[in-house]
Amino acid sequence: MPSLPDLRTMVLVSLTLSLSVGVLPAPAFAADETGALTVTFRGLKARTGAVMLSLACSEAAYGDKAPAAGQAMIPVSGDTAVVTTFKGLTPGRCAIKAFHDVNGDGKMGANPFGIPTEPFAFSNNAHGAMGPAKWADASFEVKAGDNAQTIDID
Amino acid sequence: MNRRHLLQTLSGAAMASILTPELAQAAGQLRQGAAAGLDWRVAFADLDTDLPPTPMRRVSGRSPQGLAGSLYRNGPGKFHRPGGSVDHWFDGDGLMRAFRIRDGEASVAARFIDTPKRRTDIAANAVVTPGFGTSAKRGARVENNDDANAANISVMPVGGEIWALWEAGSPIALDAGDLSTKGIKTLRPDLVHMPFLAHPRREPGGDIWSLGLNGDKAIVWRLGRDGALKGADLIALPAASYVHDFTATDRHLILILQPWIQDRQTLPYADSFSWKPALGTQVLVLDKADLGKRRIYELPAFFAFHYGSAWEETDGTLRFDGCLSPDASFATANGRSVMKGVWTPEPSPILTLIALRPDGRASLEATGVSAEFPRADGRFAGHARRYTIHATGAGDGQPLFHGLATHDWKTGRQDTFSFGTGHLVEEAVFVARPGGSAELDGWLLAPSVNLAAKATELHAFDAGQVAAGPLVTWRMDRALPVSLHGAFVAG
Repeated sequence: MPSLPDLRTMVLVSLTLSLSVGVLPAPAFAADETGALTVTFRGLKARTGAVMLSLACSEAAYGDKAPAAGQAMIPVSGDTAVVTTFKGLTPGRCAIKAFHDVNGDGKMGANPFGIPTEPFAFSNNAHGAMGPAKWADASFEVKAGDNAQTIDID
Repeated sequence: MNRRHLLQTLSGAAMASILTPELAQAAGQLRQGAAAGLDWRVAFADLDTDLPPTPMRRVSGRSPQGLAGSLYRNGPGKFHRPGGSVDHWFDGDGLMRAFRIRDGEASVAARFIDTPKRRTDIAANAVVTPGFGTSAKRGARVENNDDANAANISVMPVGGEIWALWEAGSPIALDAGDLSTKGIKTLRPDLVHMPFLAHPRREPGGDIWSLGLNGDKAIVWRLGRDGALKGADLIALPAASYVHDFTATDRHLILILQPWIQDRQTLPYADSFSWKPALGTQVLVLDKADLGKRRIYELPAFFAFHYGSAWEETDGTLRFDGCLSPDASFATANGRSVMKGVWTPEPSPILTLIALRPDGRASLEATGVSAEFPRADGRFAGHARRYTIHATGAGDGQPLFHGLATHDWKTGRQDTFSFGTGHLVEEAVFVARPGGSAELDGWLLAPSVNLAAKATELHAFDAGQVAAGPLVTWRMDRALPVSLHGAFVAG
């Protein structure tokens, strides 16, 4: 079986950039025309570090060929819910890539052959086969008003 | 052209378009098998559910005094699912068998290894997980090597557990008693999901060495006898060869880099390799005490899955044996077609002695003997030894082997027993006689699938008198899929 040489770079290169907390610029739309997206992570085995996520609202952004619509770093500790909300989103299709930075070093860990050693996940709980989940599988509709995604990670 | 001729021509063309050569061949082989009442496909059929411990019936002979313990054997055991099946024998789900011999009686149990791959495929009701020769299908979930780990090649007893080994993912630990799956063995957190070959080399009473391959890079694993990690070093290889097995002397690791070269990233895995005989075969020798010390030898191109343990002679020559084929066609062709019930006759691998001399020359000395699954008396691993144990008798109209043998490197003599074409014989494992110390003082334990009885048998031979036939044969009431590799735990 092959190793997965491209997995780390393809999946999460955008997440290894230094992240600021994912608060977007003030919305350019009136409140009732934009969407809010609450993202909740479940199933974390280790209660340390942070979940890093990137929200892409185009296939190009999902493929790291255009800027992300938002990024977030959610600290993980104790029993606190691992949740974040993006506001002011333009309605349309979006997808999330996330990893659990268990050791808190800000990077997605990889073994010497480049295989991720820290948990990662995608919206819709989509899974990849030898690479990231496909846009078609991971993308979902963000509508005006409130939206929610619950992602199992670990 | 008259009308009758035209019709014949047309019907011939129509037949040719429907009857592919593979189908025609399968039909032919079925007819031949049916005539003899034998069908080798029974040895490649699915086991659908775990088999609880079940007594075997003794059909001939008597169990030798002192033979007691468990023969664990691994190999693919489930190939077909309603929504899609494996395309290659090597991609069936790992099935651990335990043949237990005690007080002259034998029993057998078999349990599937609970891998993420098996869970994914069961949930999909189809084989969707990619593998050695099987493509990924919709619903595959492969986010690291162990998601595709079939745990289906070999078994290593260690630290009171047994580890099911694949070759491109982690060992998977099983309970030695009930064969239940304990989980993926992570030898160090930062090395999770690193590959671990199915053919570790165990120093007599000492350390265990293994490798993991990734193109032209490898990790060299060194474990204590209890399975605890003692070292993990990354090395560069001169070629991105397919490495299934390696060998070792007491002081050296020997990597045989055959010219089946990974030259693209694609699935299934076997399709990422190209046969490049012009490159020849390179042999990389590493010093166990200093992996930076290396020598490279050049040999003609050949393909092999398996090698025997190596030794160093007083003049510094390193010797080991292997079962050599002209190319990788079993891996690429017959390993797939057996899943379709088709076997294309191909030459047997040939037992061959390889010498690496201190002056840098290397040579091959073929015996002409049909051989696979080479084993030796493990008490001599890494040291001079006289004998190789191997399966033999291949090359006719059905896959695998009909007999087993020991080869005496001193005299060139073969001590062989053939079951005939009515049996497919699996790898033989040496079991030392309690209290004995001489090489081959003990027994050979080998299962076979008896095609006429459609049942798996277990045979014990006197290792020094193979030609005399089995000392005892026990039989199940059904056939298990043929297994690949085993290990014996006395007691």
